[in-house]
Amino acid sequence: MAGLTLSNVTVRYGGVRSLDDVSMAFERGVCGLIGPNGAGKTTTFNVLSGFTVAATGSAELDGMDLLRVAPHRRARLGLRRSFQQEQVIRALSAYDNVRLVAEHTRSALTSVGRALDYVGLARAERLGSELTLLERRLVEIARCIVGQPRLVLLDEPAAGLDPTESERLLKLITGIPDEVGALVLLVDHDMDLVRAACGTVAVLDFGKLIAFGSTHEVLASAQVRRAYLGVEDDEESAC
Amino acid sequence: MNLLPFVVAGLVIGSVYALSGVGVLVLYRTTGVLNFAHGAIGGLAAMLAWQFIENGLPASAAIALCVTIGAAVSLVFGVVAGPYLGRIDELRKAVATLGFSLALLGLMLYLWNDKARRLLLPTSLTGFSVGNGEAHARVNLTQLICLTLAIVVVTGAALALRYTAIGTAMRALASDRELAAVLGTSVRLVENAAWAVSGAIAGISGVLVADQTRLEPAFLTFLVIPELAAVVVGRFRSLGMTMVAGLVIGLVQSLVSSQPSITAFSTAVPFVIATVVILAGTRRRTVTIGVVRA
Amino acid sequence: MSPQSVASNRTRGLITGVALAVLAVVLVPSLPGIGAGLGLRTLTVAVIYSLAAASAGVLYGRLGLVSIMQVGLVAVGGWTTLRLHYATGLPFEVVLLLAALVTAVVGTVVSLPALRLSGLSLAITTLMIAGALEVIVRYTGFPNGGPGFVGRDATGSGSTMPRPSLGQDDQTYFRYVAVVVIVVLVLLWWLLASRPGRAWAAIRQGDAGAMASGINTTAYRVLALAVTSAVTGVAGALLAANSGVLDPVSFKAQQSVLLFATVLIAGAFSLAGAVIGGLFFYWVPQLLNTWGVDGNLVFVILGLGTVQAITTAPHGIAGQLENLSSALRSRTGRRVEES
Repeated sequence: MAGLTLSNVTVRYGGVRSLDDVSMAFERGVCGLIGPNGAGKTTTFNVLSGFTVAATGSAELDGMDLLRVAPHRRARLGLRRSFQQEQVIRALSAYDNVRLVAEHTRSALTSVGRALDYVGLARAERLGSELTLLERRLVEIARCIVGQPRLVLLDEPAAGLDPTESERLLKLITGIPDEVGALVLLVDHDMDLVRAACGTVAVLDFGKLIAFGSTHEVLASAQVRRAYLGVEDDEESAC
Repeated sequence: MNLLPFVVAGLVIGSVYALSGVGVLVLYRTTGVLNFAHGAIGGLAAMLAWQFIENGLPASAAIALCVTIGAAVSLVFGVVAGPYLGRIDELRKAVATLGFSLALLGLMLYLWNDKARRLLLPTSLTGFSVGNGEAHARVNLTQLICLTLAIVVVTGAALALRYTAIGTAMRALASDRELAAVLGTSVRLVENAAWAVSGAIAGISGVLVADQTRLEPAFLTFLVIPELAAVVVGRFRSLGMTMVAGLVIGLVQSLVSSQPSITAFSTAVPFVIATVVILAGTRRRTVTIGVVRA
Repeated sequence: MSPQSVASNRTRGLITGVALAVLAVVLVPSLPGIGAGLGLRTLTVAVIYSLAAASAGVLYGRLGLVSIMQVGLVAVGGWTTLRLHYATGLPFEVVLLLAALVTAVVGTVVSLPALRLSGLSLAITTLMIAGALEVIVRYTGFPNGGPGFVGRDATGSGSTMPRPSLGQDDQTYFRYVAVVVIVVLVLLWWLLASRPGRAWAAIRQGDAGAMASGINTTAYRVLALAVTSAVTGVAGALLAANSGVLDPVSFKAQQSVLLFATVLIAGAFSLAGAVIGGLFFYWVPQLLNTWGVDGNLVFVILGLGTVQAITTAPHGIAGQLENLSSALRSRTGRRVEES
């Protein structure tokens, strides 16, 4: 089956279940993964990347069993991800940052130029240390679409950017499925971004999947408002 | 062959490794600094003790003075370099102390050259015999002091960390510095206390081990190797495991050196033991997602 | 500027470096004072040690790995060279390559377990190895044509290994060494500028990012250890051929610490820094000695310098020189734009 299917995934940290028997399936387009802090969003990404080992469960990407593959080999199967704390390599040029991924996923070097053109990064010979935050975020997107990605995990890709910059990033993100044909999974706290980008969302709370469906319906549901948006309202009123 | 003297010597040296290892560990847990200069500080204390005794100071006064100097040297480094060390990662903190150890070693070699000397404590002159017949050995008072001190300090450190205010503060710092600071722990004060305590432990270890083996700057400086091995075996956290590891390393080293055909390899013992323990451990490198520093 | 022009920029740096080095090689032996005798012999050893310094520099500067056993590995390379020479009588160049291979295996195997744990463990482990090698080498001595595996004739009637046929006297051997060192450094530069170098940069930045990019971090760390150990082994071979015998006194653990300190102070991030480090390590102490300054004070200065460098100046002297040169370049650049 095409897309990403998680089946009964459980992750334990000590006595805490940061993911508790989570099953969900994403088919295509840009999908959102939302929930309050500690809900298990980044844990889900870490399980898929292989940084965290799931106690039980499986994850299939286009029919391949992802969790049995060594972390670094998953990139070759078409898995890409960005990080909350962007990980652009300071000592390498923007071009080499993207080229690195192409090299280690057996992709053609021509896709490097394409990826950089797509995000619109000029003067790619500049070192990572010389780039602005927006440019580093762009490099991360380029790293995610180089080669033949099947699944792109974006963890708060617009963190730290101003509204105009976020807008630009949003356009790039929503264009990824058409550009490279990959499924995009987006974690973000910015509800406007999620609403604008995602057709489908999954909501996690305390490691459990509490809602799944079209973005519009899910965000309107009372349970989600209580668990997630309610918390935000409280925070705002506390300020 | 009568191995008992080697067992005694090994346990004695091992107890000093354990003692020092615990000193290194307490500092590491409190400040995040793995002190490669621990041996050099002990070496300096031992060299000074020898010098003071040569100049006619009574041994007890000289030792007390040198333990104080050990604490002072360590404290001064902690106070001067501490603010800078707070800003860099653990590996670089350790490298900074490596530089400090090099500086101390150079200072010792400059002041005293590398001739082997003999530091004989008065307590080494009295002793008693253990065992009988073929298997017997003589145990002197210094050796007894080494063993007792190791047990006392390790137990004392464990109790102090648990039950005293400063100990609680040290444990708080070890688990979360920022939180501890927010909760009102005076980070600087606790860190300085840790530097002084570990320096004093280094000083007394240096004097004891110099009496038991040889008084030579480079030799004493690199005693940090078995001490660090003990800390590695203790997984950078367990006082008890560090102590046991120190004793085992000392014992195995002594037994290896008792066999003429393999005696040269006794210095490889810390490496072999630490490596075996690392290999036996199942804990893998954990992947952490860090903040990128410019 | 296109990515190609970045590459050509880098290549220009390499060409400048090599040109300067070749110029130095041609000129140095004809300089009065240092160009002959003790001065030249000291410089030869210093140039050899720049390989060991480059290894430590690449590990620290490019991967963030602290290895404090480089001088110990020089001893391994030297021991292997002498042993192979007496066992096989092969030409020096072949022995040199084999010694590099053996050192690569030794250096990698001893550091692998610690690599599983953390960078701090690697630092400790390599110091342990430096300490162990010091004593083992002192005990076994270096082969001098004697019998048995150790190959040492302790009666003092041992022989020495001849220098390679291309570098018999001090001057030609200096040039021989310089050529080998330049070739090895260029190879190292090429590695750093290609796929492994990029992977190493990613690893230094962080494991998570590197793994997500598809990099097998363990394999590339092992590669780095193997390559740098091999380079250090070459230094051992050159050192063995320099005098034909080796003295265990030169391979104390503190020498390994000192070498790491000089690399750190001189700058671990560029190969130029490594070369400066090698000179610091061997040449400067000798120079101070001839000026009547106690060599042990070098330990004090370099030790305190390390503390300063690691806490405040992470890029070392080479980094500061680079800043200076880029500051000058941007100034002249601006002037050109203005005119």
